[in-house]
Amino acid sequence: MLSFRQIKDKIFVGLVLAGTFAALFPLFHIICTVVIMGLPAILSRGLVFFTGTLSQGGIGPALYGTFMLAFLSSLIGLPVAFLVGLFVYEYPESKLGGFVKSLLQIMLEFPTILVGVFVMSIMVIPMGTYSALAGAFALAIIMIPYVAVYTAEAMHHIPTTYREASFSLGLSRVKSVFHVLVPMAKRGIMTGVLIAIAKVAGETAPLLFTAGGLYETYPQGVTSPVGAIPLLIYTLIQSPSPADHATAWGAALVLLLIFIGVFVPIRMSLKEVKM
Amino acid sequence: MKKVDSFKILTAPAVIFVFVLFAYMLFVYIYMSIPIFQWEGCGIYLTNIWHASEIPAEEYYGIAAAIWGSVYTSIIAVVIALPLALSYSIFVNDFAPPRIKNAVIVTSDVMAGLPTIIYGIWGAYVLVPFLRQWVMMPLYSTLSFIPLFSYPPVSGYSYLSAGVLLGIMVTPFASAIIREAYASIPHTYREAAYSLGLSRYEVTRIVAGMIRPAMVSGLLLAFGRAIGETVAVSLVIGNTFNMSISLFSPGYTISSLIANQFGNAFIYEHMTSALFAGGLALFVIGTAINMAGLLYLRRWKQNVKF
Repeated sequence: MLSFRQIKDKIFVGLVLAGTFAALFPLFHIICTVVIMGLPAILSRGLVFFTGTLSQGGIGPALYGTFMLAFLSSLIGLPVAFLVGLFVYEYPESKLGGFVKSLLQIMLEFPTILVGVFVMSIMVIPMGTYSALAGAFALAIIMIPYVAVYTAEAMHHIPTTYREASFSLGLSRVKSVFHVLVPMAKRGIMTGVLIAIAKVAGETAPLLFTAGGLYETYPQGVTSPVGAIPLLIYTLIQSPSPADHATAWGAALVLLLIFIGVFVPIRMSLKEVKM
Repeated sequence: MKKVDSFKILTAPAVIFVFVLFAYMLFVYIYMSIPIFQWEGCGIYLTNIWHASEIPAEEYYGIAAAIWGSVYTSIIAVVIALPLALSYSIFVNDFAPPRIKNAVIVTSDVMAGLPTIIYGIWGAYVLVPFLRQWVMMPLYSTLSFIPLFSYPPVSGYSYLSAGVLLGIMVTPFASAIIREAYASIPHTYREAAYSLGLSRYEVTRIVAGMIRPAMVSGLLLAFGRAIGETVAVSLVIGNTFNMSISLFSPGYTISSLIANQFGNAFIYEHMTSALFAGGLALFVIGTAINMAGLLYLRRWKQNVKF
C-alpha cells in the first residue's frame, strides 16, 4: 500500500520525465520531418539540386552564397572578436573590461532583425544596391559577441601559473598573451569560431534586407547581391507553388546537415560549453 | 612618462569599434524614428491603425497591435518554457545516468543553435495544423464563451501557434541557465535532506527553492530571445493587425511587421520611419529585459557562495 507521500513522489518523477521529453522531443520530430520531406526532393533531382539554379530546380547559387557569406563575415568579424575577447580576458577587474563584457552579453541576445535593418540603412542605401558585403557585415555583427565570449572563456581555462611564468621571464603583455597563452587556448578559440560560423550560416533575419537574394545566377562579386540557403527557404515557403515548397524542404535538409555536421562533432568533443 | 601598454594599443581599436557600432545602431534607430514622432506623436505606439497611402497627408501608422503581439507571444513562450526547462534541469542533474546525461545536454544545445528558419518551416507545416486540429478546435467548440478561446481558429496561424513555437525555441536557453544554477547547489545539501527521510519530490522542492533567482533570470533571458525572434514567428503568426486577448486570433509582432513591410516601405513617405520606431521599441524592450536578466543572474552568483 502506497502512502500519500509515495504517490506524490511517483507523480513528481513522472512529471519530470514527461517535461524533459516534451522539451527535447521537438528536435527529433523536426529532424524526421525535414528528412522525410527533403530527401525525396533532393533524390528526384540528383546533383542538379546542389549545382543548378532555382529554375532548374536547384539551390546552387544559394549554397555558394551561404559559403561566401560565412567566409566574408569571418574575415570581417573574427579579428575584431578575437581582440575584444583578449581584452575582456586581460582586464576583467577594470571598469572598461566589465563594461565591454556586459555589452557583449547584450549583443549576444540582441534581436537579429534589428541588425539587418541597421546595416541596410548604413550600407545598402548609400551603396544603392543589396550586396554580399552588406550581408556579411550584418552576420559579422552577430558573430562578434559569440567569438569574443568564447575566446575570453578559453583563455580563462589556462592555469594562472603559466601566465605568471611567462611574465616572470620578462615577457611583455603582448608577447606573453600572443606567444604563450593564445597558442595554449587555440583549441578552445577554434571551437568558438566554428560554432559562431555554424550559427551565422543559419541566420535569416539579418540577411532579409541586406543580401538581396540571387538564385538564377551565381554571385558576381562582393558588391552585388547574393543568395543564402536560409533566405531562400524563407522566400520559397511563402510561395504558393508546391514545387517551391519541395525545393524549400530540400534546402532545409541541406542546411540541417551543414549545421549538425559542424556543430555536433565540436560539441561532442567538449565537456561543457556556455551558449 | 608612463609607459603605455602596447597590448592596450593593439586591442583598443577593436573594442572601440564594437562600442561605436552599438552606439551608432542606437543612434540610427532614434534618428530614423524622429519623423514619425513629429508626424503623429505618441500615436505610433498607442493606436492600432495601419493606413498606408500614396498621399502622405493621409498616412497614419500605429503599431500598438504589433507591440502587444510581441509581448503576448513571448509571455506564452515563457509560460511553456519554464516547466519544461525546470524538469529538464532536474532530470539532468538528479535522475539521468551519466551516458544519457551527456546526450540530453548535447540535444538541448543543438536545439539552442538550430537555424531558426528550420523551426519556422516545421512550425508552419507541422505545428500549426497539429495545434489547430488537436488544441484550438476542441477548445473552441467547447469553451468558446471564455474570451481566451473565443476566436474561431480558421487558419491556425495565431498567437498560440507563435507562442508555442517560441516556447520550444527558447526552452534550451532557459534550460542552460537553470541547469547550471541547479548543479551549483552542493550535493551535501541533498544528502542532508535525504538523510532526514524526505522523498525525491520534497528534496527537489528544497533545492529548486534555492535557485529561484536563477529561474527568474532564465525566464527574463528567454523572454528577451523570444521577443526578438523574427522569421519563425512571421511564418506562423498570420501577420494581421489584430489586438486581441484571444489565443487563436492571428496577429503581428514587431519583428514580423518589420520583416513583412520593410521591403516596400520606401514607396511611402512615413512608413520607413514608423518601422524604425517599431525597431526602437524592440531595441529598448529587448535590451532592458536582457539587462535585467543578466544583472539578476550576476548578483545571484556574487551573493550566493556555497
